[in-house]
Amino acid sequence: MTQAAIPAGAQAGELRVENVTKRFGGLKVFENLSFTLAPGDILGVIGPNGAGKTTLINVICGKLAPTSGRIVLGGRDVTGKPVHTLSRMGLVRSFQQTNTFRPASVRENISRAIRFSGGSDESWDRIEELLRRFELSLRLDDQSDKLPYGLQKMLGLLLAYVTSPRVLLLDEPAAGLEGRERTRVDDFVQHARSTLGCGVLIVEHDMDLIRRLCPCIMVLDAGRIIAEGAPADVLSRKDVIDAYVGATDEVAP
Amino acid sequence: MRARRRSIIAAVGVAEIVSVALLTLAFVIPFATDDPFTHSVANQTLIAITAAFSVYIMLRMDLLTFAVPAFMAIGGYAVALAGLRGGVTDAVVLTALSFVVPALVAAPLGFLVLRLRGVYFVLVTFVLTEILVLVIFETPQLTGGSNGLVGMPPVVLFGLSIADNRQVLAFAVGITVLAAVITAAVTRYFRQHFASIEENEVLAQSLGLVVWRYKVIGFVVAAGLSGMAGFLLVNMLLTAHPTSFSPISSVNYIAYTIVGGPSSILGPIVGSTLLVWAANVFSIQGEYSQGLFGLLIMIAVTVAKGGIVGTAILLWRRYGPAWSWNPVGRRGMPAGSARVGP
Repeated sequence: MTQAAIPAGAQAGELRVENVTKRFGGLKVFENLSFTLAPGDILGVIGPNGAGKTTLINVICGKLAPTSGRIVLGGRDVTGKPVHTLSRMGLVRSFQQTNTFRPASVRENISRAIRFSGGSDESWDRIEELLRRFELSLRLDDQSDKLPYGLQKMLGLLLAYVTSPRVLLLDEPAAGLEGRERTRVDDFVQHARSTLGCGVLIVEHDMDLIRRLCPCIMVLDAGRIIAEGAPADVLSRKDVIDAYVGATDEVAP
Repeated sequence: MRARRRSIIAAVGVAEIVSVALLTLAFVIPFATDDPFTHSVANQTLIAITAAFSVYIMLRMDLLTFAVPAFMAIGGYAVALAGLRGGVTDAVVLTALSFVVPALVAAPLGFLVLRLRGVYFVLVTFVLTEILVLVIFETPQLTGGSNGLVGMPPVVLFGLSIADNRQVLAFAVGITVLAAVITAAVTRYFRQHFASIEENEVLAQSLGLVVWRYKVIGFVVAAGLSGMAGFLLVNMLLTAHPTSFSPISSVNYIAYTIVGGPSSILGPIVGSTLLVWAANVFSIQGEYSQGLFGLLIMIAVTVAKGGIVGTAILLWRRYGPAWSWNPVGRRGMPAGSARVGP
């Protein structure tokens, strides 16, 4: 994998998750999770369904408040700040399902993302490349929910990208995509990393994609980190394979 | 690529321009006829349109409000009190007062209740109206209680006392045009914000939109417009009375908007005109009208989601001449979500 140099000025984008616990009443989703995502890092988070991956994204992006622990962005404690504030600070997520302003055109979707994130018309120049690669350039006037599923997901990623995030949280970006479309996710992540210098956290079930993209992965099971490290090492560990047995057969040592 | 440069007409909105033009045309009515029945129906219609605009603004954000009569009462009583107790008769001051007082009440209130969604918000706005009527009944020293406030001095506009029916109607046209301009300005300027809240609040928030701020802005402006409608009502009757602002009348304003077409500013205008006219002509004011309006709402939301205006646009696009200029400017819209303006 090519690890292009990350742009300067991205230092403020370090995300630290410190001893974060989330409970819903008596149900413990995860406990004392800690990790750091430096600018330019790509961290894969895997685990069986129900391991708490999406909840982790919800807690980091401010949708849910952690029961205890801190979220620190660029040295500032941002725990408990609302979603829009964190988004303006550069902590932006994508969604597992297709998520666009459905009746609006592709152009209108992008224009809103630029306006809401406080961007300017120059933001359009920065996404020209991605629009071309995703074959969205010629569909700018199409209604977003009339696009094929794969393109709707790509539009979702583009909307996050055009806000110029410092940390991108991607919730199963490849879910529901076919083989050829999945490489677009690779493209997207590498492009975001090299042009914005942002840290990227990817929750994903596609192990091939995780292997290709992530120099470092983290395995969540029942709310604990059971393994951390390079994909080749982690994915061959017996406890990791056990955690996935029955959940998916995509883990092959 | 990139954001398209839009013409001024596209930016202001075709439906918005047509609406303001249509309402301005209504200035003809007071001078064209002396018929008191026509004057009365026209007056009621203009009040209904102004009030329905506030329902329309809230529906832009997918919020259904039953609080219209509450803010109408606040605006109406503010004007009546200013006239009776303060001796204020200047039309400009009173108009401003009728907008600002309900808006000021709505700001902190909106901050609290706009956290609620869907049916909970609906319930709270309904209860709000109930509470307000109760407050009016229970504070006779201030509001006259069940007697209301009677004997307001006539409003004076630029030195001209607005006393006879014709002048009152012309004044109502002016206020309604102003209300249309305010509605158009707010809904067009915050078009992207409101539409995003309506279509996908979660996404809007995660892209950085401060959703509650725009909901409060919409709520405050809607309250102000309701207040202006309250002013018109009080000015027509020269009385502020709690029965004018009954909680159940909120159904009417919702019916005007939804039956007329909730997706276009023309909707409240068409809906109010038609339903107020029908209610007067068939003499079904009072207990029966709510039943009829309820039925019409049911028909509108089940069969013709775009209301009269939305359905008309849909039919025009489907069966109208192929060469015709398309005033909608959007293609591929699903049935019922027709929207006038680009």
